[in-house]
Amino acid sequence: MNRRSFLTTAAGAATLAFPTVLRAQSKEPIRVGFPLPLTGPFAALANDLQRGATLAAEELNARGGVLGRRLEVLFRDDQLKPAVGAQRTKELIENEQVQFIVGGLAAHVQMAINEQTKKSKVLFISVSQSDEISAKPDTSPLTFHEALNPTITCRAVGGWAAQNLGKKWWIVYADYAWGKQCNAVLTDVLKRHGGTLLGSTPYPLGNAEFVAHLPKIRAAKPDVLMSATPGADNVAFLKQVISFGMKKEMRVAQPLLWLPTVKEGGPDVYADVYGGINFYWEVEDTIPQAKRYVAAFRKRFNMPPGDYGCYGYSGIRELARGIELAKSTDSDAVAKALRANPVYDHYKGKQWWRACDDKSFQDLWIVRGREPGKLLGEWGLLDVVSRIPANEELDRTCVEKGLA
Amino acid sequence: MSGIRAHPVAVFLAFFAVFPFLVPYKALATQVLIYGLFALGFNLLYGYTGLLSFGHAAYFGLGAYGAGIALAKLGVPSVWGGVAVGLALASAGGAVIGFLCLRRRGIYFAMLTLAFAQLLYFIGFHLADLTGGDDGLRGIPLLPVRLPGVEISLDTPVAFYYFTFALVALAVAALKRILDSPFGAVLGAIRENSDRAAACGYDITRIKLLSFVFSSAFAGLAGALEALRLTVVPIESLYWTTSGQVVMMTLLGGAGTFFGPFVGAATFLVLEDRLSIVTESWPLVIGLIFMAFVLFLPKGIWGTLSGGLYGR
Repeated sequence: MNRRSFLTTAAGAATLAFPTVLRAQSKEPIRVGFPLPLTGPFAALANDLQRGATLAAEELNARGGVLGRRLEVLFRDDQLKPAVGAQRTKELIENEQVQFIVGGLAAHVQMAINEQTKKSKVLFISVSQSDEISAKPDTSPLTFHEALNPTITCRAVGGWAAQNLGKKWWIVYADYAWGKQCNAVLTDVLKRHGGTLLGSTPYPLGNAEFVAHLPKIRAAKPDVLMSATPGADNVAFLKQVISFGMKKEMRVAQPLLWLPTVKEGGPDVYADVYGGINFYWEVEDTIPQAKRYVAAFRKRFNMPPGDYGCYGYSGIRELARGIELAKSTDSDAVAKALRANPVYDHYKGKQWWRACDDKSFQDLWIVRGREPGKLLGEWGLLDVVSRIPANEELDRTCVEKGLA
Repeated sequence: MSGIRAHPVAVFLAFFAVFPFLVPYKALATQVLIYGLFALGFNLLYGYTGLLSFGHAAYFGLGAYGAGIALAKLGVPSVWGGVAVGLALASAGGAVIGFLCLRRRGIYFAMLTLAFAQLLYFIGFHLADLTGGDDGLRGIPLLPVRLPGVEISLDTPVAFYYFTFALVALAVAALKRILDSPFGAVLGAIRENSDRAAACGYDITRIKLLSFVFSSAFAGLAGALEALRLTVVPIESLYWTTSGQVVMMTLLGGAGTFFGPFVGAATFLVLEDRLSIVTESWPLVIGLIFMAFVLFLPKGIWGTLSGGLYGR
C-alpha cells in the first residue's frame, strides 16, 4: 500500500465515520502549489504571504469549498533560489499533481517558476513585484500578475514625492534588477515633473555601507533622498542617514515600505520616512472590504495583515473566483473566465485584470512612519498620507511590453 | 561487491535504468543524474588526482550559460548544438583557469579556483544583456532531439530523464576509460605523491591540467543538461554555494570512489526534497549527517559500503 492509497483509504474511513462533517469534502480536492521563500532573508515577508494564503483557503473551505471541492494549498520552501523554485514547482506539478500554482516572492524566482508552469500549461498567479513577468518574452496566456510592479510603484510614489516633497532629489539604490529598475523609473518621473536629479548612488545589494557616500549627498542639499534599499539594507541605510543628522535636513522617501521591516527597525528609524505600500491595515476605517479582511486576519492570526499577506490572500481568492466562473479546473478555461470577468474586490476595493497582459491594477497608498510614542498598538506604525487610485497609465503600455 | 568493481558501467546502466521508478517523481531522478555527473567531474580532480578545487561552479555555470545562450539568444537550432557549446565553453574555461591555478598547490590552488569562479559570477551578474543578470537567463526552448531517422520530444519528464541518462551513461563510460588508461594510473600516482610521480619522468603539470580539463568538461555537460532541464539558468549556477554543494555531495558519497558522487548526489537531493516538505530546518539534518560521515566514516557512504577498496 503506497502513501496515496493509504491516505485515500484513511480519508474514506474518516468519511464513513463522520458522514455529515465531511460530506461536502468527500470529492477529490483542488490542489494549489505555493512556492515561497520560507527560509532566507525574506522569510518574514514569506510568513505573512503564507498566512494570507492560508486564511483564503480556510475561508473558502468553511463556506463549502470551491465547486463543492476542498481547496488544498501546498506550501513549499523555495529558499529564495530560482533553481529550487523551479525544482519545487516541478515536484508540485509532477508529484502532487497540483492544478494551479500561486506564489513566488522576488522577481528571479517568479520567472524560474513561470518557466515551469508555461511548459506544463498550468495557470500561475504571481504574487510579488516584477516588471518582466507581465511582459514579453516571460509572460504567457497562463501567467497572471497579482502584485504591483517596480514601474507602477516608482511612478506612483515618485510622482507624488515630486509634487509634495520637493523637486531636487538624490537616489540611492541597490545595484540589482529591482533597484536598477526603480532608479530608471524614478529618474524619468522626476524629469517629467520638471525636477532636478542631483545624483544617484548605486551600492552592492547586501553590503549596506553608506558612510563614504553620505557627506557628498548631504553637501548637495537635496529636498528628497530617495532610497531603493530592500530588506535589512533598508534599516542599515536609514540608521546611517540618521547618524549624519540628514533626516532633519531633507525628506526621506522610498518606493516601498514593508510593514515587517518597519516593525523590525522601530519608530526611531522609520519616523517621517515616506513610502508606497500595497495595503496598510488601518485603511479598514474607510474601506468596508478591508474591515472584513483585517478582522478575519486578526481573528485567525492575532495580528493585522502585512503587505505581502494580502497578495497571498487575494491570489488564492482570485484563483477560486476563476475556477467558479469557469466551473472547471482547466487552466485555460480559468484564464479565459478571469479575462472575461476582469473586475474583482477581495480585500481593499476594486481591482481588475488588464486584458492584454493579465496584470492586476489596484490602489496603493503613500504612508509615513509614525514617531515614537504615537504608535497605535504593536502594529500601528504608519500614518496614511495619500491614496493613489489604480490607473493603467502608471504601468508600461502593452505595446511597450512587447504585447498587443 | 566484486561484480560491481568489475563492471561499474554495466551496474550504472542497470541501476539508473530503473531509478526513476524508485524515487517520488521523475524530475528528481533527473536532478540526481545531473548533480551526480557534476560530482563525478569534481571527483576526477579531487578524488582521483588529489586537487581540491573550490570553484567548480565555474564550469557548471559555463556549461549552463553556454548551452542556454546558444539556444535562447543565438538561435542554435538543435539540442546537440546547445550541449556542444556548453561543453566547449566549460572545457575552454577549464583549460585557461586550470593553466593559471596549477601554478600553485594546496590551499593557494583552492583559493585561486574559488577566486576565478567568483570572477565569472560577477561577470555573469553584470553582462545582463547576455546572461539575464540576477534575473537569470530565461527563454531556453526545449527542442526535440534529432537523431538520424527519428525525432524525440523531451516534453515529458520520462523522456527527458532517459535523454539525460543516455548522455550521463556516455560520460560514465568515458570516466571508466580514462581511469583504466595509463593516464588514469598516473593520476593516482600524482595523488599519492606528486614529487615521486615527477621523479618517474611524468610531466605532472600537463597531466594535472588534462585532468582539470576533463573534470571541467564533465561539470560543463552537467550544467548544459541542467539548463535544458529547468529552461532557466539562475546566476547562482556560478556562485560559490554551488561549488560547496558539489564538494559536500562528493564527500558524503565517497571521494575517490567510482559511484560515490552519484550516491552522494542522490542522498543529498532526495533528503532535501523530502525533508524540506516536513521542516524548514532540513539543512540542519543534512549538515549533521554530513558531519557524522566526515568525522566517523571519512570514506563516505559508498566508500564505507564497498570497504574502501577503491579509494583511500
